Amino acid sequence: MEQETRRPWRRWVVLVLMIAGFVLAGIFIPVRPEITVAPERLIEKPLFILPKPFGPFYLVNTLPTLVATWIILGIIAYFTNRSLKKSAQTDLVPRGIGNVMETLLEVLYNLTESSASSKYARMIFPWFATIMIYVLLANLLKLIPGFESIGVIHPAHGEGYLTKELGTFLGFRWDLLTPDKVEEGGSILAPFFRGVSVDLNFTFALAIISVFMIQVIGFRAQRFGYFSKFFNTRRMFKVPFFGAMDFIVGLLELISELAKVISFTFRLFFNMFAGIILVAVAAFLLGKFTIVASMLYLFELFVGLIQAFVFGMLTMVFMAQATQGHGEEHTEAH
Amino acid sequence: MEESIILAGRYIGAGLAMIGAAGAGVGIGLSVQGALTGMARNPDTYGNLLTNMILGIAFSEAIAIYCLAIAFLILLKIF
Repeated sequence: MEQETRRPWRRWVVLVLMIAGFVLAGIFIPVRPEITVAPERLIEKPLFILPKPFGPFYLVNTLPTLVATWIILGIIAYFTNRSLKKSAQTDLVPRGIGNVMETLLEVLYNLTESSASSKYARMIFPWFATIMIYVLLANLLKLIPGFESIGVIHPAHGEGYLTKELGTFLGFRWDLLTPDKVEEGGSILAPFFRGVSVDLNFTFALAIISVFMIQVIGFRAQRFGYFSKFFNTRRMFKVPFFGAMDFIVGLLELISELAKVISFTFRLFFNMFAGIILVAVAAFLLGKFTIVASMLYLFELFVGLIQAFVFGMLTMVFMAQATQGHGEEHTEAH
Repeated sequence: MEESIILAGRYIGAGLAMIGAAGAGVGIGLSVQGALTGMARNPDTYGNLLTNMILGIAFSEAIAIYCLAIAFLILLKIF
């Protein structure tokens, strides 16, 4: 065997990167980023003003990331389409990116079929796969270096940091934030890019879409029988006491639908938000030991993957539950 | 004086916020225990159980992460 010729050169790359991180962190000392729950505004003036109930529309720093996510999704879709078309013309064997996407979608479809009947799996699958791929891309895009660290420098209202001029490039003046803290007259950074999933609007919108479509799919599967889950009058006249109790329990189901929206929203948002805080605090407190922050990055990769999976999976499971009649199994149990 | 009381309050609050992580620890432990028992009884279900176990762990862990986020929000004076 040719075991000797195998050179593990990749580990040297990792070592060089570790040393480079250590040296760079000594030159450009990490500054604690301004952590805010709401996305920061890149331009102080609103872009345009919507009519009365909505109010002004600001260019916040999650919008560029959102557009970037769309562009990347579009590019992936275009190349997948081209690759599949090419393989359909030749020998029907998908290659390259077409193969990867086909494998991914096949795994997801099998997962859908394992919990929903195959009749409804075709209805549920697009929502599940779309939400999952979208959230996955949004979560992973957050990890690219440059996110949360390059941006516009604003004058700080409270405590801020001193800046050092680096020079002009591309017609703009570039400054570096130094770790010297000042009480007044300092500046803070509003990054150009901030992960989309670290914006409550994004997670809330996805949660509303998901929960609304759960109701729609439940209605399409069971017609008006679906609403007997919420307004349960089935046993009201036969056994008044337990019938009334069933009715109250059914009303509680309505509240649990609302709770689904809230839990969807905050699960994704807080997981991603905690990621920002963890990396920032590790980089700020440990300074030169960038290896800890890199390990947290690895953990963030895992969390982003798992959360995208959980968001899609929960949507799929709730949709599959909605297609199955709630009443039938209830009467079977008695 | 007043500032140090506020500081003490902030530290105590962050500590109290992390109590919730105990529940998440119990939850993760229980789900792993259940999955391991199932795997030991029936090793063929390994792959299926592992996926569901990780899913369950992610749910429990989310609770701990809420606590962590709140604790950091209190510590770093973001509220």
